[in-house]
Amino acid sequence: MKLFTLLFLPLALVAGQDPLQQLVKLAKQGNGVITLDPQTFDLLTNPKRTWSTSIQLTALDKRRKCTPCKQFDPSFNAVAKAWSGVPAQHRNNHFFATLDFDNGQTVFQKLGLQSAPVVYVYPAAEGPRAPASGKVGPLKYDFSNGFDAAPLAESLSKQTPIPIPYREPIDWSRYFVIGLGVAAVLVTLRFSAPILQNRWTWALVTITVSLVMTSGYMFTRIRSSPYNGGGGNWVASGYQNQFGQEVTVVSCIYGLLATSFLMLILVVPRQTSPSRQRVQVYLWTGVFMIMYSMLVSLFRIKNRGYPFKLFLG
Amino acid sequence: MPTAYPLPTNLSPATVANTASLIRIVALCLISGAAIASRLFAVINFESIIHEFDPWFNYRATRVLATKGFYEFWNWFDPTAWYPLGRVVGGTVYPGLMATSGVIYNLLHAINLPVDIRNICVLLAPGFSALTAWATYMFTKEMKDASAGLLAAAFIGIVPGYISRSVAGSYDNEAIAIFLLMFTFYCWIKALKQGSALFGTIAAVFYFYMVAAWGGYVFITNMIPLHALVLILMGRFSSRLYVAYSSWYAIGTLASMQVPFVGFQPVKTSEHMAALAVFGLLQIVAFAQLVRSRVSSRQFQNLLFAAVVTIGILGTFAFGALTYKGWIAPWTGRFYSLWDTGYAKKYIPIIASVSEHQPTAWPSFFMDLQFLIFLFPAGVFLCFRELRDEHLFVIIYAVMASYFAGVMVRLMLTLTPVVCVASAVALSTLLDTFVDPTEPDIAEEGKSESGTSTTSTAAPGANGSTAAATKKSKKAAAAAAETTSTLSHLLAATKKEGLANPKGIYGLDTRLMVIFNTTCLLAFFVFHCTWVTSSAYSSPSVVLASSNPDGSQHIIDDFREAYYWLRQNTPEDAVVMSWWDYGYQIAGMADRPTLVDNNTWNNTHIATVGKAMSSSEEVAYPILRKHDVQYVLVIFGGLIGYSGDDINKFLWMVRIAQGVWPDEIQEPNYFTSRGEYKVDENASPAMRNSLMYKMTYYRFAELFGGGQAMDRVRQQQMPKVGPTLDYLDEAFTSENWIVRIYEVKKEDPLGRDLKSANAFAQGKKRKRTKPVSRRRALVS
Repeated sequence: MKLFTLLFLPLALVAGQDPLQQLVKLAKQGNGVITLDPQTFDLLTNPKRTWSTSIQLTALDKRRKCTPCKQFDPSFNAVAKAWSGVPAQHRNNHFFATLDFDNGQTVFQKLGLQSAPVVYVYPAAEGPRAPASGKVGPLKYDFSNGFDAAPLAESLSKQTPIPIPYREPIDWSRYFVIGLGVAAVLVTLRFSAPILQNRWTWALVTITVSLVMTSGYMFTRIRSSPYNGGGGNWVASGYQNQFGQEVTVVSCIYGLLATSFLMLILVVPRQTSPSRQRVQVYLWTGVFMIMYSMLVSLFRIKNRGYPFKLFLG
Repeated sequence: MPTAYPLPTNLSPATVANTASLIRIVALCLISGAAIASRLFAVINFESIIHEFDPWFNYRATRVLATKGFYEFWNWFDPTAWYPLGRVVGGTVYPGLMATSGVIYNLLHAINLPVDIRNICVLLAPGFSALTAWATYMFTKEMKDASAGLLAAAFIGIVPGYISRSVAGSYDNEAIAIFLLMFTFYCWIKALKQGSALFGTIAAVFYFYMVAAWGGYVFITNMIPLHALVLILMGRFSSRLYVAYSSWYAIGTLASMQVPFVGFQPVKTSEHMAALAVFGLLQIVAFAQLVRSRVSSRQFQNLLFAAVVTIGILGTFAFGALTYKGWIAPWTGRFYSLWDTGYAKKYIPIIASVSEHQPTAWPSFFMDLQFLIFLFPAGVFLCFRELRDEHLFVIIYAVMASYFAGVMVRLMLTLTPVVCVASAVALSTLLDTFVDPTEPDIAEEGKSESGTSTTSTAAPGANGSTAAATKKSKKAAAAAAETTSTLSHLLAATKKEGLANPKGIYGLDTRLMVIFNTTCLLAFFVFHCTWVTSSAYSSPSVVLASSNPDGSQHIIDDFREAYYWLRQNTPEDAVVMSWWDYGYQIAGMADRPTLVDNNTWNNTHIATVGKAMSSSEEVAYPILRKHDVQYVLVIFGGLIGYSGDDINKFLWMVRIAQGVWPDEIQEPNYFTSRGEYKVDENASPAMRNSLMYKMTYYRFAELFGGGQAMDRVRQQQMPKVGPTLDYLDEAFTSENWIVRIYEVKKEDPLGRDLKSANAFAQGKKRKRTKPVSRRRALVS
């Protein structure tokens, strides 16, 4: 009987071995990220841990339809990979782990999580790295900087023994495209020179830029407003708010108004037939009035208190 | 030549010229009058009072200057601001505005007109708007003619985009800066046109004035070099450009360095490097031109060209290396955030938190510029048609300013002048075309009818056949190649390809139609401007207005009520803590030291206030005591629905505090678990325990006498039992509860912490489990 137990001793040792060693091994298997289930989750976050850990709680399965999870997963893995490159004595003090909803519903319930993805950072609970404040509860990562890897690495670095050596991958394709573009311009310079030297090319560019800018394009860029509100609703409510489609519509209205004005100034006087000229004058004046009325009524939608109106409601 | 309507024939040309000039003068006077009058809504509706926040500081500084003289002002150290740090006001301020008012004050007193300094400050902006109208007139006259100038002056006189920053009482740097901007640009154009060192010097002097008056001078510092650079690239280098730019740059830069707040920045920071680089480039190009005119050998010319290019590249690298080494400071955050629009929110939340630094949605453009906004592209197009040197300036200005105005609401102000100029050019061209009485010969009609249907090629003399046109352009290209380098090819080929003279308009009805339409357009513009000015831009924001049920005006004067309470009921050295928005007002109206104010130069100090506001009483109390704070002031609009209150700004306090103490303050803690910003029953614990929340809603529920308390700004129902305060005492609450002032309690004489002292006083039994060490929390 004794012999029997002796035979199993190594196995028992393996099973009961230091949890740290176990985690190191798991991390090695998972390429820097431990894939968790409820048991390993408890092991990783056990209240006597001397290590710290960052856990991504996510739902990557297609049935869960969690798009943010899919967006965020590569960033988390990239940061974990960067961490796996640091020297072992630091690396084995902090672990990266992922728990999928389908592998650990009980954990999600226990933590009371309703949404994913979530990143929890558990500081060390014991040992030299335990925080001085004594707070060992998990810290939640704040997604206010988006799902990118760089802010994640920066934020997690506060909890790791040494900063995570994460570097943004160099976007070669972008440089390549830019280089290609420059080269193409240089090669075709001979042919494109007349276009580049034509003042009306520049006029077109200048006027387009100012039209687009004065229609609130930068607002939609900075606030990343949607193109429209869905359901045929393309006018955002509120005076200090707008959708992307409004940029298009408003800049077209402005452009048409400016064009009708230019027609009256430049084209109409060149007409050599009085009757045709008269028709054009009335036509462009009419276009001007109608477009202006439309603009004012659009403005009245945005600014409810505006007291003036032209021909349209 | 037939005319559409009869013209008087017995007038001598001198009479016509004299009448025209008289009419111009009268028109300009009337425009000035209109510009000043429309800015007086604020005084008539309310009273002669300084508006908003920053003007209160300017006013306070001007008072120091007026009473104590310029040297006192120059050396003024203000120990009451940024307590306990203090602020060197003379060295951290753009003194142009105060100096202007001071000069006017002394001038009026010298001729025995005892005008109060406050009235000078209140009426400075309207007065300068009249000067702006005149400067815009001069500028536009250089672009087209005097009639366009008058239109532009009228536009800028009443356009809301400019009125918004220059109503009576809005005593801010922008009040005089737009005049200086336009006049500097006018002098620059004049210098460039005439190659005049005199005008270049005048431009430099006004540039200096601008540097002394407004931080936005950097716009001029970059616009003029950009214009010069484009001229060089287009092969339009001339000795006129050389003289104008060199005189402006040399004198202007040296002068601007005399302003202590600017100091050595013009040679050390990236914002000013463009001007320096173009200055260098101009010297190289001028030298090359000089050598070329003296040396004939072709090889030597090639060598010279190579040398110029090499020097240019080396210069660029030198700039790069200097920036890299830190000799030249990189772009400051404020300017950098104009290009990288996400930068400010991430790294400088204080800048991102200001409402006038938000991006502009299109209704704001229409509100501020109305029909000018769509005449503006037409005007820019007309500038392209002629494309003289000065038109290029308008074009560049148009592109840059419309981008900047899109990024920041505040920079609408720099867009407004160019919009007025360009649309005045467009409108006056239209009027020229349709008022002009000459009718083209009807005989020509038959000729062109028999020709082709397209009108452009029908007129032989004017437009020229295509063959002639290409010949011309070839000739131009050849000429360009002969004289200048490849740089100059740009646009040279298209120069003057024979623009057809407009032929004219037939009949009277067409003329009347267009002129009537234009008149209606202008009338609508006047109505719009008057409405916007009176309803949106004339509120002092220190005094609020609402209307009674019978329609009469009801004035809400809580701010001044509270500030005067502070002034009369507290010791003179009592430190008042509030969010930085109200710092200048407290200093100006209550005359008490403040921790932070609108100068926002010390982020950590502001974050300290943010931390005190957003942490619990126990954490905040040591902070308050360490900063000698005696009173805390919060703004609360929940009772009457004033939306600009502190709870709505609270998230920015949290964010700014989080930037400095990320471990102690975390923004997500102030949201409910569902991510909402709530102040009712569901408010998160961090929110409910924060000092700001407690001070805001302290005893608020009692006001409703047992009924459901309701916050009218957030539209949320408040809990029946409001928060309690242990470390602060309510000292004052204004009539409509907008301003609430709390007194910070002194330490308990028995050495207990105030919470347990309070509990003891209320007869509650102290829990045995309470750790004893809490008593000593304040000693540290």
